Amino acid sequence: MPRKIPWIIKYRPRKIGDVVNQDNAKKQFTQWLESWLKGKPIKKAALLYGPAGCGKTSLVEAAAHEYGLELVEMNASDFRRRQDIKRIAETAAKMRSLFARGKIILLDEVDGISGTADRGAIDAILELIKTTRYPIVMTANNPWDQKLRPLRDAALMIAFKRLTDRHVITVLKRICEYEKLECEDKALYEIAKRSEGDLRSAINDLQAIAEGYGRVTHSLVRALSSYRNREYSPFEALQKMFNAKYIFQAKMAISQANIDYDTMMIWINEHIPTYYEDPEEIARAFDALSRADVYMGRIRRSGAWDLLSYVFDMMGPGVAFARRVYRYRWKAFRSPQRLQLLAHTKRSREVREGIARALAPRLATSRSTVKSEVIPYLKIIFMNNPRYAARIALGYNLTDEMVKWLAGHKAREVLMYMEKLSRKH
Amino acid sequence: MSSREALAELLWAEKYRPRTLDEMVDQKEVVERLKRFVKEKNMPHLLFAGPPGTGKTTAAHCLAHDLFGENYRQYMLELNASDERGIDVIRSKVKEFARTRVAANIPFKIVLLDEADNMTADAQQALRRLMEMYTATTRFILIANYPSKIIEPIQSRCAVFRFTPLPKDDLIGRLKWICEREKVEFDEDALEAIYEIAEGDMRRAINILQAAAALGRVTVESVYKVVGLAHPREIRQMIQLALAGNFTDARGKLRELMINYGLSGLDVIKQIHREVFSQEIKIPDEYKLIIADLAGEIQFRLVEGADDEIQLNAFLARLAYIGRKLRG
Repeated sequence: MPRKIPWIIKYRPRKIGDVVNQDNAKKQFTQWLESWLKGKPIKKAALLYGPAGCGKTSLVEAAAHEYGLELVEMNASDFRRRQDIKRIAETAAKMRSLFARGKIILLDEVDGISGTADRGAIDAILELIKTTRYPIVMTANNPWDQKLRPLRDAALMIAFKRLTDRHVITVLKRICEYEKLECEDKALYEIAKRSEGDLRSAINDLQAIAEGYGRVTHSLVRALSSYRNREYSPFEALQKMFNAKYIFQAKMAISQANIDYDTMMIWINEHIPTYYEDPEEIARAFDALSRADVYMGRIRRSGAWDLLSYVFDMMGPGVAFARRVYRYRWKAFRSPQRLQLLAHTKRSREVREGIARALAPRLATSRSTVKSEVIPYLKIIFMNNPRYAARIALGYNLTDEMVKWLAGHKAREVLMYMEKLSRKH
Repeated sequence: MSSREALAELLWAEKYRPRTLDEMVDQKEVVERLKRFVKEKNMPHLLFAGPPGTGKTTAAHCLAHDLFGENYRQYMLELNASDERGIDVIRSKVKEFARTRVAANIPFKIVLLDEADNMTADAQQALRRLMEMYTATTRFILIANYPSKIIEPIQSRCAVFRFTPLPKDDLIGRLKWICEREKVEFDEDALEAIYEIAEGDMRRAINILQAAAALGRVTVESVYKVVGLAHPREIRQMIQLALAGNFTDARGKLRELMINYGLSGLDVIKQIHREVFSQEIKIPDEYKLIIADLAGEIQFRLVEGADDEIQLNAFLARLAYIGRKLRG
């Protein structure tokens, strides 16, 4: 299967003009950026704020592209300690000599760090703003947290508006035309309405349906989005969890999924190799998930439900941070086979146990010995000599289900012979 | 015998199991000593030790039969340490059993505890107290593969009987005798092959013989075919797929194994552990040890009730990673 590019990357705006709506923000941002390029910045940093998926990061990316600037993205959670900020500042200085072109430093989602009550991170960012030789852009959904106040004071505040359904539909339509997708207007309207102005999630939804079903109809949208309503469907939750930049995002994705954590664990178990390709990442992700499972077992045995938090730590962030480098990857997450598998293996195991129970006293041995030492040979007889097998089945009063389990594709023959033998009697 | 029973067939391991001490052709010294207990109508606690398939459980049944007669089973409580859920269950079953009446001519009843060496040292201590508590009315026969795993205080309270692997001639002789009664055609060297594979384990030898006979004339080829089929190669293939860095296919194999063979996670991890040290898995020894260590951790988690698939996936993913490192 060819690797699919996430549409939110494929269709991200290349020019400032491509960013939908947000005319005010665009104007403010361009003026601020040009003041930097002229060497006289209005303010050294800008804080772009507004609801999720309204175009904050897209605008920064488009501007960088248009002005030929390198976009250096820094993880806000790196700004924990003073030595980190020093190291980052030094690297930034070195990089200049290598690339000899301007750059924009992007600190995405700074409101993510406020919740962790990490005062040190705010100080570190302020320090960076003071010493930087490059424009610094921060983004936030909600900049009004008390802890972010020093950042608000140090930065030019640029507000983004929530996108209207009409804007979202316009973009979706453009994508559909480009992808030559068959889609109903009503379907696009439904996606837009449910996205609540979040263009990113709308595009993700569109791609999920388009790639899953090849067309976009109103009923598909409704069926798929029935999960939704502030809560995330499992595949959305996985998308957010795997692609989380920060620990809190990965954790939130898990807790806001509309399925319980047991089921979520099954989804993650299924999709670790969907998301990751590198064996090291797969191994690390499964390691984290297996730890979550161990905690889950301890909870079940001890009733210590306060351990649940560790389950979430390991299954969400633990799995998401198994990556070696961060890269947004859009993947089609389908329903796990596991649920069927579980039923199959459980039944299969019960049948095997039943056979062991029937045979053990007759052979004067344990059930475990029957399972390891007798059943394998019994299976050979049942799969190769149906007539003989039928007589043994009668000898031990094996049920039809046991016969089927033992004989596999020869089951019908064995059952037929059993029928014949019984009739003679 | 109804005609239905006449048409029915049994596993030969049951059909040709000796019913009395006289029918036991092997373990001659053991049998002689046991016959003395029958004559005296008394016996101490017994510990039967020896490798699988050497007749330990059979000897216990024969002894009980000779002491109590055809209906001996009502005077014998059969327990299996690996099937019972802990010493508490064993204790309550023994207590219940001790209350039932004894036979007219024998003043005690028998508790047969198979796979006693699978019990923890603590459980064995509790067992020792049980043996003392009911010693007036019951005798214990403990069965173990490894007598060294039975704690000293129990060993010293039991008469110990050592069962040895069946000598080649005895085992092959027995197989021939069965072949004649079953009118099975066989090659001489096929029976030799069975002996080599079974390593003195009579039960395994008979199982192999019966399965091979179900395929037709018993030949060396059919014997090896049976042995190959009995031990699923999928486990090895799964390990090899994982070590080749192919996690997804290895996982597919795992699912297949669990469905088709009804294997539990514990069954799978134990077989993996055995397989890893085989010659077929070509990786450096130090990596085999790393994998064994990991398998041990996974097995412990499964015993504690962790999820089969998640834990085994974690194991396979780690294998795939190791495999990639090995290939550089």
